[in-house]
Amino acid sequence: MGTFLQFVVLGLGLGSIYIGLGTGLLLVHRATGIINFAQGAMAMWGAYVFAQLRVDGRLVFPIGSIEFARRPTVAVAAVIGLVTAFVLGLVVHYLVFRPVRNAPVLAQVVVSVAVMITLQALVVLRFGANNIDVASILPEGTIHVLDVDLPTREIIMAAIMVVLAAAVWAYLRFTRAGVATRAASENERAAVLMGFSPDRLAAVAQVVAVMIGTISVMLGSSLTGLNPDNYTLLVVPALAVLLVARMESIGVVVVAALLLGAFQSVIGLLVTKSWWPVWAQSGLDQVIPFAVVMVILFVQGKRLPSRGSLQTLRLPDVAIPKLKPIPAVILLVLGVAALSLTTGTYRFGVTTSIIVMLLALSYVVITGYLGQISLAQGAFAGAAGFCLSKVTTEWGVPFPLSLILCALVATALGMLVALPAFRIRGAQLAIITIAAALAIERFVFNNYTLTPPEGNPIADATLLGLNLGVREGRDLSRMAFSLMVLVVAAILVWVFIRVASGDTGRTFLAVRANERAAASSGINVRKTKLIGFAISAFIAGIAGCLIGFSRGQLSAESFTVFAGLQVLAVAYLGGITSVGGAIVAGVLGPLGIVYVLLRGVFDLGEYYPLISGLGLILTAILNPVGIAGATREQVDWVRSKLRRGPAAGPSAETGSAAPRKEPSRV
Amino acid sequence: MSDHSASAPSAQRGLHARELTVRYGGLVANDSVTIDVEPGRVVGLIGPNGAGKTTFVDAVSGFTAAEGEITLDGARIDALPPHERRAAGLSRTWQSGELFGNLSVAENLLVAARTGGWRTLARDIFVRRRRGAGDEVAARALEVVGLDGVADTLARDLTLGQQKLVGVARALAGGAEVLLLDEPAAGLDSMESQAFAARVRSIADSGPGILLIDHDMSLVLGVCDIVTVLEFGKQIFTGTPAEARTDPTVVAAYLGAPVEASHA
Repeated sequence: MGTFLQFVVLGLGLGSIYIGLGTGLLLVHRATGIINFAQGAMAMWGAYVFAQLRVDGRLVFPIGSIEFARRPTVAVAAVIGLVTAFVLGLVVHYLVFRPVRNAPVLAQVVVSVAVMITLQALVVLRFGANNIDVASILPEGTIHVLDVDLPTREIIMAAIMVVLAAAVWAYLRFTRAGVATRAASENERAAVLMGFSPDRLAAVAQVVAVMIGTISVMLGSSLTGLNPDNYTLLVVPALAVLLVARMESIGVVVVAALLLGAFQSVIGLLVTKSWWPVWAQSGLDQVIPFAVVMVILFVQGKRLPSRGSLQTLRLPDVAIPKLKPIPAVILLVLGVAALSLTTGTYRFGVTTSIIVMLLALSYVVITGYLGQISLAQGAFAGAAGFCLSKVTTEWGVPFPLSLILCALVATALGMLVALPAFRIRGAQLAIITIAAALAIERFVFNNYTLTPPEGNPIADATLLGLNLGVREGRDLSRMAFSLMVLVVAAILVWVFIRVASGDTGRTFLAVRANERAAASSGINVRKTKLIGFAISAFIAGIAGCLIGFSRGQLSAESFTVFAGLQVLAVAYLGGITSVGGAIVAGVLGPLGIVYVLLRGVFDLGEYYPLISGLGLILTAILNPVGIAGATREQVDWVRSKLRRGPAAGPSAETGSAAPRKEPSRV
Repeated sequence: MSDHSASAPSAQRGLHARELTVRYGGLVANDSVTIDVEPGRVVGLIGPNGAGKTTFVDAVSGFTAAEGEITLDGARIDALPPHERRAAGLSRTWQSGELFGNLSVAENLLVAARTGGWRTLARDIFVRRRRGAGDEVAARALEVVGLDGVADTLARDLTLGQQKLVGVARALAGGAEVLLLDEPAAGLDSMESQAFAARVRSIADSGPGILLIDHDMSLVLGVCDIVTVLEFGKQIFTGTPAEARTDPTVVAAYLGAPVEASHA
């Protein structure tokens, strides 16, 4: 009992960070309607500045740094950290979130994901990828309660965060600005009528949110040290907390945050018991937020308030693809040429580009055609990849069959993740898919009983005696392997075009445009989503297998949540609604040919995540149709000019004009 | 035919909604409404704003939970989800059109004619397609509502009146036993409205029963066989248009002056 209580109290530390992030998420959502996936990353920056000042007296900026002669005191460092957070909040609000305040939900989700990967990349560049250990700023010690020694740090920290959350609550409840902020979340005009600028209120909310988050991370980092990935992803449990609070009650945020923290801590205690099954030891703390989100969504479902739900997911138009033999042949010839004119690292880069193109294509299916936001594509790919290791080395399943079998495993997983999409959409679906992805990464990919740490080797593929392995002797990138990848990709693109231009593609677009009208036209919306997730996960699964073959062995690092998000970034950048966009995404994608060139020729490889994040922010704000879409618009414009003379103009409209509507009740 | 009343469900064919009640919180939006739409008949549903007309359509088509019994051609459909009611032959349009704005008119109609599924997926991938196979389906549905030359236009580029007509065509595409038309003529001018009335009549004559909601009294009273009047969710009258014009409750609740609409 004593140990149990100690672990509960230890968990309050984590819970306090959830209070900080959850309160900020709630505030931003109330003020802008945006669910900010970058909340953790934004809170982390100021805390890193604070920590670095205390470690060696360096004040680090995104570019450049100042060295203090003497290390500043904790108070000075804290003030500098908070000023940084203040500025960050303002900058992100005015440069990033304000431009998309009336944009479709997808653009808002993408923008906040882009901020998240940008800041995470920036932290890695500026502060390093490794843990920074931070001396505690809270007095260490214990108090004796009920015959148990309880740590005081966690208790003090929880008390501070509860007080801060209460202050935010009081702001929203009792000040005119706070009341106007709440009113603005229902109706922006209401805030204007009260004499406030909704935009100013949103800026205040954003700044307060970053600062309270930063305080929680500053305090919390002394418990666990700072780590760019972990703190960025703490937003996921915080989002779970936000959903529990139905996005409106700070009181519930506080209680749920502390309970979740305590619960995760106690789980950490329980998994060390001898009776606890070994296979379920790893990553259980991440499965809990996912389970919480699932339960909440299924219990509350439609009743979750959301501004976004009043608006359908407006997306760039889709030009229904046609199978045109000549462009297809040209593309294939280009692919073969690119592969045969390169060797070694560069050919490997081209090959990786083709694989990333497939991953991007899986986003085209699920988001571009079906209008659902999935942040779990990387996890689908990973599931297939690890499955491939088992299937090829332990069962000896031969090549094309192994590929299909493992992709089908990913398909099954995709259909499982589709179930919540029956009831929710938009940003909430993004929350559940990222929670699912994180749970799968921590519980499956990092689970040593399932995926041994010494590596998950994958046997080379052979077909009819032909060696399709990636390496042989000193050749690190064999042509046979690359051609196999090209052929597999060509087949999948062909299948995609068949589906997209057929009756199935049309039902996807109908569901994307208007679920209610689709249902009244006789479309089974749930089944359609299931099919969409299945196809998308199948394609992602094939891509995961090809990644597996190309590496020869896999580890959990091969398929992180961040890698999946980076592919989303390039998929959106290329153009989320077309094969052309997927191809652009492949070329630009992580470890693809542009990356290899950046690294090899310009020595800029380490800046790649930062560049892709920034590129995504710019695309989402300025050019939602992506590179391929913009190119197509220009081509169409030139064509219409040639055909009809100079009178015809370009079609400026990119969003669907379908009227705003209630979500359907299917 | 003219003395038909809702209390005589002689045939089981067509749509029969019995004592439908819809509650939104404490508000009773439909209070035990009973309406029959038999094949070939045009039934008008009128009433002031907020009377519960659209609620009734939502309830019958499965978009709002309701108590009561709904049968289509003798089979209970009140437990089915909307798409299955549609598959059973109950089709509806929406007041606001609700077309798929990003699809062409022809594709809007094909969505209703081919609703997808796993077998469709397999066919899409493996079976060779006939060129222009969907064109006839679309052309036929458009002909019935009297629209041509718009098949390849994006739905959102149509006028409101055209969108309403495409909505009706979409409801017809793929076959329908009963059509629920929610204010299909709003947005049409009086000429178009009269032409539309003739089309409604000819659609009904070709087989399906039609429930017509509209504000245009001359349209409703001119084309309908039977009229039902709702007020505050209650069914206050059911009878022929001629009876409706003179019925004191109807006149008091809705029509205002008994002779006004009789020019139709």
